[in-house]
Amino acid sequence: MQKEKYIRFDRYLNNELSEGEINSFEEQLKSDADFKEDFEIYSALESSLRSKFENEEEALVLRKTLSDLGSHYIKQGENDKKETKVISLFRFRNLMIAASIALLIGFFLFNNGRSPVYDDFAQHNSLELAVRGDNNEAVSKAEAAFNSKNYEEALKQLTILSNNYPNDTEISLYLGISQLELNNYAEAETIFNAISGGNSALATKAVWYKALTFLKQKKLEECKEILKTIPESAEEYPQAKSLLKKLS
Amino acid sequence: MEQKPHEDQLYIEALLKNDSKVLSEIYKSFTRKIVSFVKNNNGNSDDAQDIIQETLVTIYHQAKEKNLVLTCPFDAYFFLLCKRKWLNELKKRGHNRVTIVEEITSVTEEQESMAEETEIFELQHQLFESKFKELGKKCQEMLNAAFKIKSMEEVAKFLGVSYGYARKSKSECMGKLTQLVKNSKEYLHIKAQ
Repeated sequence: MQKEKYIRFDRYLNNELSEGEINSFEEQLKSDADFKEDFEIYSALESSLRSKFENEEEALVLRKTLSDLGSHYIKQGENDKKETKVISLFRFRNLMIAASIALLIGFFLFNNGRSPVYDDFAQHNSLELAVRGDNNEAVSKAEAAFNSKNYEEALKQLTILSNNYPNDTEISLYLGISQLELNNYAEAETIFNAISGGNSALATKAVWYKALTFLKQKKLEECKEILKTIPESAEEYPQAKSLLKKLS
Repeated sequence: MEQKPHEDQLYIEALLKNDSKVLSEIYKSFTRKIVSFVKNNNGNSDDAQDIIQETLVTIYHQAKEKNLVLTCPFDAYFFLLCKRKWLNELKKRGHNRVTIVEEITSVTEEQESMAEETEIFELQHQLFESKFKELGKKCQEMLNAAFKIKSMEEVAKFLGVSYGYARKSKSECMGKLTQLVKNSKEYLHIKAQ
């Protein structure tokens, strides 16, 4: 009898009963409380299990997203102590050499006779942070945003990263560049000053960007003064020399 | 019964679509006070992260299965759910004598009833899941196939049985599960709510 009941439930839910059978089924729901209770549980189970099994993979993907966001936004404050190191300075240096050459070629091609503007010189190396540690989401977001010139988002992500890795000059530098792109000159200058005052491999790069900060504000005298402090041995020297020439 | 959704329905949509951009807004804007609530009440940030994640997954399941329509601000509803989930967790861990530190926030009836609906949904979901695991292996396999594959003809083919047999054993397994649920004390508890 019990088995018959469940077969009826199944057929009712599948719309397989005849009109007469449906009527008597619904009559029984009204008159037989036990029957009704069983049916309610049966159909709740049906809907719950269907949803669960159909969405099993989707739910897993969601969990992954949430746990990434959770470790990013909730645990980030506690990650400060973890060991993290930026290892891309060597690659960065190579990129800079390549970029300087590209810049020089650029000047020969189009830059004759008009006063230099910031955009002509502001050709940033793409951001490629190789950070060891578990903040990869912010890293890839920062890279994607910066490299697609979405500086507002880059600023956001880099701010998160720089809170986590306060001693990382590469992150600071790009934070400064983002500020500069967004015309937050005072913030940009503070960052570039801090880097250029230190002795990291990026110190002269920061000096160069400080000069660009003045250039963008059309403070040409200040810009020149800064450019003159870039030593001949520096990678930025060709660019600095070229800009200086345009300014004088 | 068609209710106009609150504008924060977008967070529910984001859970359904796994939209990490909008979901990150939830973490950015709404989780801080949950984390401090948990931390102020015998928990740490790992606990908070778990509570938050489980709550969001529950909301996702409810939205998937029951078309959850949010009728109050997400923030209040979400906080209420996380808070109570953490208090339950503390009870489970045996922290009965904790002093609950919380700022006094007023909870509207709407928020209360939204949260309650989700809590009942979750209790039911957990009950069904645990009873499902009490079924024999054959039934678990049968139901798993029946709900994943949808067409019972395919299910029969997949399990190498006749269509009639597949139909019959599916409803029998569902019947067993129905009885397991009906006879559990958790079911009585849910029914009482």
